[in-house]
Amino acid sequence: MNVTDKDFNEKIINSPLPVLIEFWASWCVPCKMMDYVLNELEEEFDGKVLIAKLNIDRNRKTPQRYELTGVPTFSIFKDGKLIDSRIGAQSKKDLISMIEKIIK
Amino acid sequence: MYNANKTCWNCPAAKLMGNVDFRACGQARDKGLDLGEEEEIVIECRRRPELGYFEPNITFEQCPEWTPTEYGYILKEMKVMILGIDGYLGWSLALKLAKLGFQVSGLDNFTRRDCVMEKGAHTIVPIKRMTERLEVARDVLGININFRKLNLNATAKLREFLEEVKPESIVHYAEIPSAPYSMADLEHAVKVQENNVLGTLKLLWLMKEVVPETSLIKLGTMGEYGTPLTGRPLYEGLFPADAIIEWDDRKWSLGGETTPRDPASFYHVSKVQDTFNILEACKYWWLRSYDVMQGVIFGVYTEELAMDNRLRTRYDIDEWFGTVINRFVAQAVVNIPLTIYGKGEQIRGFIALNDAMQCMIRLIISPPEPGQYDVVNQVSGLHKLSELAESVAHVGKEKFDLDVKIQRLENPRVEADTHPFEVVSKKLPHVFGFTPQITLEEEIERIFAVLKEPEIKNRIEMKKHTIMPITTWQGKKREMKVLERYDPGTKPIKGFKPKFDN
Repeated sequence: MNVTDKDFNEKIINSPLPVLIEFWASWCVPCKMMDYVLNELEEEFDGKVLIAKLNIDRNRKTPQRYELTGVPTFSIFKDGKLIDSRIGAQSKKDLISMIEKIIK
Repeated sequence: MYNANKTCWNCPAAKLMGNVDFRACGQARDKGLDLGEEEEIVIECRRRPELGYFEPNITFEQCPEWTPTEYGYILKEMKVMILGIDGYLGWSLALKLAKLGFQVSGLDNFTRRDCVMEKGAHTIVPIKRMTERLEVARDVLGININFRKLNLNATAKLREFLEEVKPESIVHYAEIPSAPYSMADLEHAVKVQENNVLGTLKLLWLMKEVVPETSLIKLGTMGEYGTPLTGRPLYEGLFPADAIIEWDDRKWSLGGETTPRDPASFYHVSKVQDTFNILEACKYWWLRSYDVMQGVIFGVYTEELAMDNRLRTRYDIDEWFGTVINRFVAQAVVNIPLTIYGKGEQIRGFIALNDAMQCMIRLIISPPEPGQYDVVNQVSGLHKLSELAESVAHVGKEKFDLDVKIQRLENPRVEADTHPFEVVSKKLPHVFGFTPQITLEEEIERIFAVLKEPEIKNRIEMKKHTIMPITTWQGKKREMKVLERYDPGTKPIKGFKPKFDN
């Protein structure tokens, strides 16, 4: 799911489910390679975790608010709070371990 | 359709320059930099100025400027500039695009004609001068191509041409595509790298300044990757997200990093250098590019080329510019044993001319996002050279009653002649909707039919002495020893079995 500055509060902060969000950019080659992993996670964790993406060039407030230092950044939000963040491409296994920490 | 959901974000008509902060790599978001008002990105549309400023969210399906066709949504009268439009691929693509309603422009300085002449060879399928080619294209196909005789390295003139045409996509075929040519001696190596590497670097700077929203479809080669003896798959230029490097009991993802390159000649090195220059230009300036790692090309056919003999594309068979299948068929036609270098267990990726053209159209009409650099492996099958010789001999025998022999020569190149080979080629079929239209043997048969024409057969006879390799990777010229001659079907196929992940 794509989110923007405008709907970030509604979709991410107020999400009833925990969220894994990727902050990405179209010039970021590793970000593009993560797409199919996120699609797979979206299916595998359907109903348990919300998988989201935010383009940092088209949405500048949110990345500033969380003081991002690079892309891709993968962040976990739960009950509106930022719980965990990792920078750089991640394997599917690494992302699953991030997710499992909060749903178990 | 595969490109229906792309939006203005991908469209070359969307004007980003002046509307978007191009500082990339997260630098613009450092706390120290004042970005001013934080707003959603808005763009203007060159084709629909009445829309004013708007968020770039209109899909190709919704936009009246994009119309559905058999290839996907096509931007109406999209302006495509082909660099190297006089060549084997450039000419074929120009006719196909123009026939589909694209506005085609192109440049060439006839380097390929000169290099082939230098070798004392000629294209065995005769081609006309460019002025005549353009006239015939106009008369037979009803198309107009805007041609300029121009060297890619002539920066000021190229800038003028870009400013005049303002292409919405640029296809870059204007490189010298020969490994042995680049290995002949110092002068040839330098000429290849100057033309290819500096030509592309200059193009990138000009694109940044004149047409930064235009996509660059750049011809690379599968030869950039080499043939790793570990059997590691040849990914599409970049490691997948779940590729891991493991060292000293620690692990990291390699996702999105460029895969290792292992070029096999100074020509292949020039293509690798291009890859890195383009990747950086995309990162620094938000240029956008597909780097096309094309397999070895073969064939004579596209619908447009076949409409009139005067529209045919060039076809080289000499040791410098002849590619393997094309050369084998020419040898079979004039009763020379097909020449395999070394053991003949080398495996390469291949694609027929018409299928390659289909891929290019799909890439052109599905442009990358701003700053996006992506790589596709443009291959429709993997074949071992000794097996290709068998296939050509088989078609020659069955369909044209030719008695074809095969011979192995000393290998003039420095390359592994026995190696594992696994190629990933998933993007073109799964992201861009590409389906190959022709089998290997069908296209070989089409080639035979053309090369058997008396005039062409005669032109092969005239230049058959240019086929045998004399250019060694040691930079010396000498004749290669014949190691073995044999009849097709008499030798067991040895070596590794290729693996194709598509």
